[in-house]
Amino acid sequence: MKVLARKDLPDVLKNWSDSYDVFAPSMKETGDVIFDRFDADTFTLEYGKPSLPQKSEFLPQSEVIFELKKGEYREVMAGSGKMLFGMRACDVMGMRQAGSFMKRDVTDPYYKSKEEGILKVVMACSGPQNETCFCTTVGSGPFAEAGFDLQFYDLGDEFLVEAESERGKQLIADGFFGEIDAAEAGTKIEEFKVHASKAIKEVPALKEAMERLRDGSVSEKVWDYFGRKCIVCGGCAFVCPTCTCFTVSDFQTQPGEGLRVRSWDACLFGGFTREASGHNPRGTQALRLKRRHEHKLLYYNETDVLEGLCGCVGCGRCSDYCPVHIGTLEVVKAIAED
Amino acid sequence: MAGLAAAFGSGAMTNSIAEVEEAELFFITGTNTTAQHPLIGTRIINAKERGAKIILADPRKIQLADYADIHLRHNIGTDVALLNGIMNIIIEEDIYDREYVEERTENFDQLKAVVSRYTPRVVEQITGVRASDLEEAARAYATTKKAMLLYAMGITQHATGTDNVKTCANLAMLTGHVGRPSTGVNPLRGQNNVQGACDMGGLPNVFSGYQQVANEEVRKKFERAWGVENLDGKVGLTITKMMAAAQKGDLKALYIMGENPMLSDPDSSHIELALSNLDFLVVQDIFMSETARLADVVLPATSFAEKSGTYTNTERKVQIAHKAIDPPGSARDDWEIICEVSERSGYPMNYNSTRDILKEINELTPSYAGITYERLVKGYGLQWPCLTDEHPGTPYLHKDKFTKGLGSFLPCDFKPVSEVPDEEYDFLLTTGRVYYHFHTGTMTRRISILDREAPEPLVEINPDDARRLGIQNNDVVELISRRGSIKAKAEVTDRVPKRVVFSTFHFHEAPVNLLTNPVFDPISGIPEYKGCAVRVRRCA
Repeated sequence: MKVLARKDLPDVLKNWSDSYDVFAPSMKETGDVIFDRFDADTFTLEYGKPSLPQKSEFLPQSEVIFELKKGEYREVMAGSGKMLFGMRACDVMGMRQAGSFMKRDVTDPYYKSKEEGILKVVMACSGPQNETCFCTTVGSGPFAEAGFDLQFYDLGDEFLVEAESERGKQLIADGFFGEIDAAEAGTKIEEFKVHASKAIKEVPALKEAMERLRDGSVSEKVWDYFGRKCIVCGGCAFVCPTCTCFTVSDFQTQPGEGLRVRSWDACLFGGFTREASGHNPRGTQALRLKRRHEHKLLYYNETDVLEGLCGCVGCGRCSDYCPVHIGTLEVVKAIAED
Repeated sequence: MAGLAAAFGSGAMTNSIAEVEEAELFFITGTNTTAQHPLIGTRIINAKERGAKIILADPRKIQLADYADIHLRHNIGTDVALLNGIMNIIIEEDIYDREYVEERTENFDQLKAVVSRYTPRVVEQITGVRASDLEEAARAYATTKKAMLLYAMGITQHATGTDNVKTCANLAMLTGHVGRPSTGVNPLRGQNNVQGACDMGGLPNVFSGYQQVANEEVRKKFERAWGVENLDGKVGLTITKMMAAAQKGDLKALYIMGENPMLSDPDSSHIELALSNLDFLVVQDIFMSETARLADVVLPATSFAEKSGTYTNTERKVQIAHKAIDPPGSARDDWEIICEVSERSGYPMNYNSTRDILKEINELTPSYAGITYERLVKGYGLQWPCLTDEHPGTPYLHKDKFTKGLGSFLPCDFKPVSEVPDEEYDFLLTTGRVYYHFHTGTMTRRISILDREAPEPLVEINPDDARRLGIQNNDVVELISRRGSIKAKAEVTDRVPKRVVFSTFHFHEAPVNLLTNPVFDPISGIPEYKGCAVRVRRCA
C-alpha cells in the first residue's frame, strides 16, 4: 500500500499531466466546481458530489459515428487518453453497470474504445456529499470495490492510495508515493470505510418500493401524480450515470456529404416509444415515468447490476435536479407510502 | 410593454422568478407557463404543492389547468371584460386596498366609473364565465397577500393588447399587489434576450435604457459619446409599419437580424410581397431561413454557443455567457458584423470585444451603470436597475413608490376581436407555440429529437365540433381564412373550447400566419395573433 502527503497532490497531478489528459475538480470564478483539465491554480478537493457523472466521457452527449465524404462512408472511432481524477464510487458503479450493458450481447465499439483508454482515479467518500446520497442502500459506495485504477482514501494530512490495475500500480511507482505497512494501512482503511458507511443514511423505502413493484401492488395513482407534473425535460435521464439510451440521426453537411451522429435520448420523451403507426405503448407521461423507474428498480438485468442492488446507483442527482421533484428518492417514498 | 410603462413607469416584469416559489396565489392568464417558461411553470407547481392557490384565466385547458383551483375559460379576446368584471366585484365588495389606492395611485375615480359597467351578469354574457366563478376569483386574488399576476402573449397579441396590459396593471394596483416580494405584474418574455433587445434600444423610439430619442438632452449625450452630430430625433417604424411601408414602396432597404418574418408575421403572403418590393434586403442569421432566402445579401452570424456576451432575461437579470465552441465557416459575431458594416459605411466603431461594448452600456445607460463585466463574471447576474458599482440590483420594482411616482389607473373598455366569426368563417383561430419548438423552428426543427417529438403541425379542435364536421384524430383538415388557407392534421381534444381551433407557427409546411389577421394594437404595433375568423373543412 502507498501513501501520499496531501501537499504533494498538485505536483503528482502535474506530473501525470505530462502523460495523460488529466481531468480533475476545478473551482471556477463563480464558486462552481466542474471537472476540467487539471490546473494547479483552480484545483480543489472541496467538490462534494460532482455536478454530473463522467458518463459523457464514455458516451458523449452527441458524437459522430459515421462520415460520408466524396461518396464514401468512414467510421469515426474516437479513443480517449484521459485520466479522471476524483471520481466518486457511485459514479464508478454507474460506469461499470453502463459498461456491462454496452458490451453484454453486442459490443458497442464507440463506447469501448473510449472506456479502455480512460484512467479512473477514485476519491472515496468519507460521508454523504449531500442529503440525497444513498449509495449504501444500493451497494455502490461510499468507496469503490472494483473498476478503478487507483483509489484515494483521504486521511487528512495524507492519502492512502490503493491500486487495482497494473496501470494504476505504475502510476504510483514514483518518489512522491511512500510505502506503508500493509497491516497498518488495512486497519486505517477499514476504520475509514466503517465510519463513512455509518455516516450515510439508509433509505428503507427503496427496498420496500422494489418489493411493491415486484408484487405489482403499486397503484397507478402514484404514476398519475408524477406524470401530471413532469415537464418532460429529460434531465433525470441525462444526469443518470446508468442511463445510456441514444438516438441516431443523419445530417447533411453539404450536398453529397454528411454525418451520422448519435446523441442522448430519454424514455421520458413520447417519441422514444412511439411506433411507426403512431401508436404509443407508453402513451402518457405517467406510463413513461413508470417505465423509467421500473427499469431502474424492477426490470434491470442481473448481469449488468454486478454487486449493486439494482439499476440505480444512489447518486441522488435526479432528486437534486428535477425541477418538480420527481427523483428516485421521491418516487420510492411515494411508492412505499402508497 | 407600452401599457405597463404608462401605468407604472417601467415596462418590465416587476418581480423575480425565485419569488414565484414563495407566492400564496397566482393569477395566470395568457401564458402556457409549463410549456413556454417551464422553469417558471415548475416553480408554480411546487408552490401549489406547498399550498398556494392558482386562478387560471385561459380559454385552453393547458397543463396548469390540472392544478388550477379556479379555471376561468373566457372567450378569446374578452380579457378586458373579464378583468374589469373582477375589479367590479372587488370594488363592490369593498375588498380593494383603500390605503394603497389613496397613497400610491391616481385616477381611481375614472377606474371606478368604467368598471362599474362590468357587473358579473354583463361579464358572463361577454366572456362566458359564470358569475360565481368570477366572484370566487375576485375574492381570492384581492384578499391574498402574496398574489402574483403572470401573463404572456395571450394578453399582448391582440389588437387590444395594450388595453389588456393596462387592465392587468389596474387589477394589481387596486389590490395593492405591486411593490412587494412575490406579487406584481409579471409579463413573461418569450425569448431569452427580448428584454435585453428592448433595453438596448431595439425599439423605434428609444436609445438604451428607454431614453427617448425625442429628448434633445438625451440625443446630445449620445452624440457626444459617439462623436457624431444631429442624431435623428424622429421616432422610427415598428416592424409591422415597416412591412406596410415596404409594400407601398416608401421603404427601400431593410436589414433583418435573427428574425424570420416570412413565418412569424401575420398575413404572410403580404410579407413576401413587401420584402420582394424592397430595393435591397440584408438578412443576418445563423441559418438560411425562409426570410434569408429572399435576401440580396446574407450575413452568417454565430450561434449562442459560439459567442460571448450578455443576455437580459424576463426578470431583468443580465447574465454573461462565454464562447464554448468555434463558429463554423465564415460565421462571425453579430457585433463584429455590425462594426464592419459601419466602418465600411464610413463610421469606424472602435470596439474590440463585447466587454468594450458593455463598458459603453454602463456609461450611457443609468439602469445598467452598475452591471459591469467585472461583476458579472463573478456571479449569477444582476437585475436592473443597478445604478452603481455597489448597487445590489433590484429583485422587485416599485417598492414604496412607482418608477413614475404615482401609479396610474388607465381604465379601458372591452372591444371584441377585430374579426368576429360569422356564418362563413365560423371558428376563431388562436395561435401559439408547443413545448418542443421555438418560434419559426429555424433552430429547433434542425434538432432531431425535438423534431421527432413534434414533427408536424397539428390543429386542435374540440370533440363536439369534430363530430359535427366528421373529423377524426389525424384527419387532414383545411383551415381557411379571408387571407389564405393551410392544411394540417387534426388533434381532437377538449383542450380547446367549442368553435375555437388552435395551431402553431413553427412549421413552414403549414404556415399559420398565412391565415392571421394583420390588424395591430394602435400603440405597441403588436399583431392580433390570438384570434381571427376561419372555417374548418375535412379534406377527403
